[in-house]
Amino acid sequence: MKNKSTNLPAQSPVSAEMSAGMLKTVGIAALLGLIVWRWNDFITIFVNVLIWIYDIVGNNFGLAIILFTILIRIITWPLNAQQMKGAAAMQELQNDKEWQAVQKKYAKDKEKLAQEQMRFYKEKGINPFGSCLPTLIQFPIIIALYQSITRALASTPLDLLKLSRSLYSFLDVSSLIPLKSKFLWMNLGQPEGIPMPFDVSFLPHGFPLLALIVALTTYVQAKLTMPASPNPGDQTAAMSGMMSVYMPLMLGYFALTFPSGLAVYFITSNILGIVQYAMQGKANWRNLIPGAAKK
Amino acid sequence: MRKKFVLVIMILLGAVLLTACAGGAVRGTSWPGLTADGTTAYLADGPFVYAVNLKDGKEVWRYPAERNAKLAFYSTPLVTPDGLVVVGSAGSDYSLIALDPTDINGTTNAPAEAWRFTGARDHWRAAPLALNNKLYAPNSDGSLYILDLQDGQSVKKAEVVNLDGRLWAQPTTDGERVYVTSLDHSVIAIDANTYAILWHEDLGGALPGSAVLGEDGALYVGSLASQLERFDPASGKHQPVLDAANWVWSTPSLDGDTLYFSDVDGNFYSFDVATRKLNWKVQPDGPITASPLIQNDHVLLATESGSVFAVDREGKVLWSQAIGGKIYTTPVAAGDLILVAPLETEFYLAALDPNGRQVWTFAPGG
Repeated sequence: MKNKSTNLPAQSPVSAEMSAGMLKTVGIAALLGLIVWRWNDFITIFVNVLIWIYDIVGNNFGLAIILFTILIRIITWPLNAQQMKGAAAMQELQNDKEWQAVQKKYAKDKEKLAQEQMRFYKEKGINPFGSCLPTLIQFPIIIALYQSITRALASTPLDLLKLSRSLYSFLDVSSLIPLKSKFLWMNLGQPEGIPMPFDVSFLPHGFPLLALIVALTTYVQAKLTMPASPNPGDQTAAMSGMMSVYMPLMLGYFALTFPSGLAVYFITSNILGIVQYAMQGKANWRNLIPGAAKK
Repeated sequence: MRKKFVLVIMILLGAVLLTACAGGAVRGTSWPGLTADGTTAYLADGPFVYAVNLKDGKEVWRYPAERNAKLAFYSTPLVTPDGLVVVGSAGSDYSLIALDPTDINGTTNAPAEAWRFTGARDHWRAAPLALNNKLYAPNSDGSLYILDLQDGQSVKKAEVVNLDGRLWAQPTTDGERVYVTSLDHSVIAIDANTYAILWHEDLGGALPGSAVLGEDGALYVGSLASQLERFDPASGKHQPVLDAANWVWSTPSLDGDTLYFSDVDGNFYSFDVATRKLNWKVQPDGPITASPLIQNDHVLLATESGSVFAVDREGKVLWSQAIGGKIYTTPVAAGDLILVAPLETEFYLAALDPNGRQVWTFAPGG
């Protein structure tokens, strides 16, 4: 009996790589779905890990957030690496002469251009979602961390009662709670601000030092990861440029408005991101010097 | 271009989700505060403080007239000897407000503010203590603010006693000393006149409830270390007198030599302070955070399961009434009525007769 499968074309190493990429993408999407479905359990795990670290480091919640962020970064390291790889591949494609020629050729035929794009993706082994989905997973983590901080600090009696019921039995709950929310000059359960000698109506908590550091580190991280592109019509580079403006503003606003514990997470995460890029030799330091990147 | 659009949508979605998590002055963020005088019940429940007529359960007034994002009320209001209703805000402006129920605005039906103290740095969770024309007001910022009520209309400055931890319970006094319980696991005694800290003792667990003074002259307090402690009020020397099954959240209630208290496992204890022995313990139907309310021949207790139980001196349940929702707030006696303020029900306040039958319920309109 003839084996029908032998009639199928052999799978090229490139498309196998792409299939593996798609498999990873499906895996991440499934993980995201699971997180959303079991949201409360997800938060409970976060809260317990945070309080466990808090216990280990001598009841310092700020340090617990920093260590927790490092833990999150380690866990999501492969995802970030995949994101960087995906972004680099996309960048490479944007600079590809053949692809630029195709873009010009089918500039007025969007359907054909899309078909050609898919062909290029297949040939180059690029997963179009490779750089976007790992970024998506950051959002539930940020939201979960915000909720975990507010739940762990339990600012109301009802919150404290609920917290007591969501902690695992290995934690010595009675001696640990309520958590000490002071860290350096901050109350981690409230927005940060350094008192000023005069009132500014739009800065009700004082001078927002932490929000400025968040915005600055986000900007530096975005700039360092911005690839240099000789192609003026490069969409990826344009999007990165836009992100390097909007993301610092948005995260800075979050830091200004939400509990300062979240700002501690943002700063730690940004610094770790910069370190990760630098360790992989992908940090583009020239981008930090105005005008240097264009040379 | 499409990618850019998707990215912006993702960022906006994240921003909206995060913003949605931020709490506002909404009902149910914590449990309400409840008190009453001869004619009126005062309910601090989220964005408003309601005055409710005890005769028919109708709203007399509410404060503020319009919802204000900076104000949220969950602490028990205090009616001062001169008739002001003092209530602290758990909103972002951290104000302690005295309302004058004799000065109601004819248009808004809201009482005038007699004074407002804005010197605290965190939320108000507990009622102040009134003693000798002074208010001893505990705040979540860890300070006890002492306000002089003698000049009546404007309270701007306060003596501040800096303690540690969040102060969530009304202080107790024997006239000479003021006893403050803190979530930082401490009981602190303060001289009522000089405001000097006399002693400061750690119990190993947070204290969300107040201390209570017994007829034997001792001070009793329950803690989240799941113990009932007995203090010598003069020296601060203390010892555990009973291990509870779980956290003791609420303030114990004393009736002669018998002390009643409960834990969050739903156990209700009767303890003899003279012999220092447990009389009995019952477990009605759910966790208990409300303090027991002592009536003529029985004790009332409210459970998280939404029921009120009347238990006699021997621990026998005389009657029970299912109110619905969840009850965390201590019931209040007002004449012949028993007032209960549940959460997660359509009504905010229920009045029961001495046999547990419902007389009226209050749900605010508008």
